[in-house]
Amino acid sequence: MRLFLALALFILTACEQGQDSQLAGDSETAGRAPLIYTVNYPLAWMAQQLAGDAARVMFPAPAEDDPAFWQPDVATVLQYQQADLVLLNGANYARWVANVSLPASRLVDTSAAYREQLIAVDSDPVHSHGPAGEHSHGELAFTTWLDMGLAQLQLQAVTSALQHLMPGESAVIEQRLAALQQKLATMDQRLLATGRQLDDIPLLYSHPVYQYLQRRYHLNGRAVHWEPDKVPSETQWSALESLLRSHPAQVMLWEAPPLPEVELRLNKLGVKTVVFSPMGNRPPQGDFNSGMVANIARLEQL
Amino acid sequence: MSGVFFLAWRYLLWHRWKTVILLLAVTLVIYVPLGLQLLVQQTATDMTARADRSPLLLGGRGSPLELVLNSLYFSAGLPPALNYGQVDELRASGLVKPIPLYVRFQSQGHPIVGTNLDYFAFRGLPIAAGRQMVSLGEAVIGARVAERLGIGAGESIVSSPESVFDLAGVYPLKMQVVGVLASAYSQDDNAIFVDVKTAWVIQGLGHGHQDLAQPESAASVLKKDGDRIVANAALVQYNEITADNIDSFHFHGDSDHNPLTAILPVPADDKAGVLIQGRYQSHPQLQIVQPRAIIDELLDTVFAVQRYVLVAMALVGVATAAVVLLVFLLSLRARRAEMDTMSRLGGSRVAIGSLMLAEIVIVLLASVLLAALLTGATLIWGGPLLQAVVMN
Repeated sequence: MRLFLALALFILTACEQGQDSQLAGDSETAGRAPLIYTVNYPLAWMAQQLAGDAARVMFPAPAEDDPAFWQPDVATVLQYQQADLVLLNGANYARWVANVSLPASRLVDTSAAYREQLIAVDSDPVHSHGPAGEHSHGELAFTTWLDMGLAQLQLQAVTSALQHLMPGESAVIEQRLAALQQKLATMDQRLLATGRQLDDIPLLYSHPVYQYLQRRYHLNGRAVHWEPDKVPSETQWSALESLLRSHPAQVMLWEAPPLPEVELRLNKLGVKTVVFSPMGNRPPQGDFNSGMVANIARLEQL
Repeated sequence: MSGVFFLAWRYLLWHRWKTVILLLAVTLVIYVPLGLQLLVQQTATDMTARADRSPLLLGGRGSPLELVLNSLYFSAGLPPALNYGQVDELRASGLVKPIPLYVRFQSQGHPIVGTNLDYFAFRGLPIAAGRQMVSLGEAVIGARVAERLGIGAGESIVSSPESVFDLAGVYPLKMQVVGVLASAYSQDDNAIFVDVKTAWVIQGLGHGHQDLAQPESAASVLKKDGDRIVANAALVQYNEITADNIDSFHFHGDSDHNPLTAILPVPADDKAGVLIQGRYQSHPQLQIVQPRAIIDELLDTVFAVQRYVLVAMALVGVATAAVVLLVFLLSLRARRAEMDTMSRLGGSRVAIGSLMLAEIVIVLLASVLLAALLTGATLIWGGPLLQAVVMN
């Protein structure tokens, strides 16, 4: 009998030891700098600026991909799963997030505070099948940070998440927040002034990503769906010419410089090209701040 | 002395049926109360240990026992549902880390547990083979599921329809097994884990189908009225989520309204636990329970039954002991002639008495040994068996 009791005690002890080693593993990882993953570059920039060297900020999307439509591989998602904090943009940005398993307790939706201000974009027709009734796979405009007011709210959300993750760094983060808010507020003021200066003149957007910029700064733009590295088809040119008749724009905002032949043909139509990068991905040079300042400067020169 | 035991042994072997009956009777008298006691205590320890590691449970208002058994032991009936939106509300409170649970579906008799990655961290369930689930439609399975079904990472499982008569119901979902959990010696070993979104796909709340706006889906369109498209029954809905069709999977409506069977709120500390209980104490649709208290109530019932059984067993034991004594006394009387013969052959009274005593000692020792073996087996295999009986 003693033998069996000893055996049972051994099994129970082994189970307890297994749990202890798991806890020990957790406490080991607690010693290192927190690992933060983000789904786009603006959030990575905010997190890095706020956290400094106290955290490792990772944004693994390749430079040539648009993070909004990038699909990470299994190994990359597993890395996201190991993060201490995952910063999401919200507004259905990075749709891959909806189809993968991430640790919910470590996810922070940085646009949650202004969900009601998100802009709906109906891209799909309403359809019905079966008893579920009519529905649409409707989309939301997701380039939220182009509205510097919303960007400041996102910055606040990132700050709160970092302070919760690293309470010891709270005061330093608060100081850095003030400096960053100042930068974003300055950009906001300049964009508001530019918006007033443009005075509702018609604009074109090469891609439908400027909804928040348009709303906040009262721009009068219409979007086409052109890619900077592709020559538009004749159908697209015809559609543009048709659009220009009702919306006589003389400026087209591009995410990146268009091909020279495209720029030339646009110029012939009386449309000047201006690059206003949404900065969704890491720029080849500089950072979010310098990139946005350059964007604003180009817009101010109109 | 060895001669005495040899003779006793030969006698018992010669009267093997009488010996076997005596052995069984004495073994059962020793084993049954002891085994029962151990079994109940072990089950109580196991059940309370899991309940202790689950401080609170939030569920729809209904039977608390059903909520606890479904959420912690993946058994019993389906408790009333609550909305996923409660998870966000709990998280927003800052008091607890909420872990969603949707334990409704099965695959080949094993429960499919819809949850999120926090569950694995909370229960301390490492992956032994393969990897953690990543995409919609992927599953990780408990060690016992892998063993019983003979499957591992890279293979697939199919959800079971809830009713064979539900011909118009949703298609079973074929799920890719991507990992096998290390054995946890708990109910988690017997479960199939999927993301809660995958569980909703099994239910039909989320699905993937052809893009109805594309020309190739024309055969599936019943009616088109401007931006409104009505599909016919020919619309192909995918019953397996693959890399090719995952982007077509979508959920109707707000996911906050999707159902859960329970939420496991993990409080930051005792104070947070008390505060969160206070918030839901008089909620009209929801109930928050302490699993330990519910399991204690259940075990009180089990212990009450056990006490009656033990009293009954004690009475049976006394009766059996009396019968065994009677058997030995009658045996002595029946063997008077044999004892006379041994006496004439020169056997002393002490030697003859020792022979009779040796027979009794051998039977009793063998019974004790057998009862110990049975008790050991009960310790090893009996707990899960009784747990299954109690929970069903």
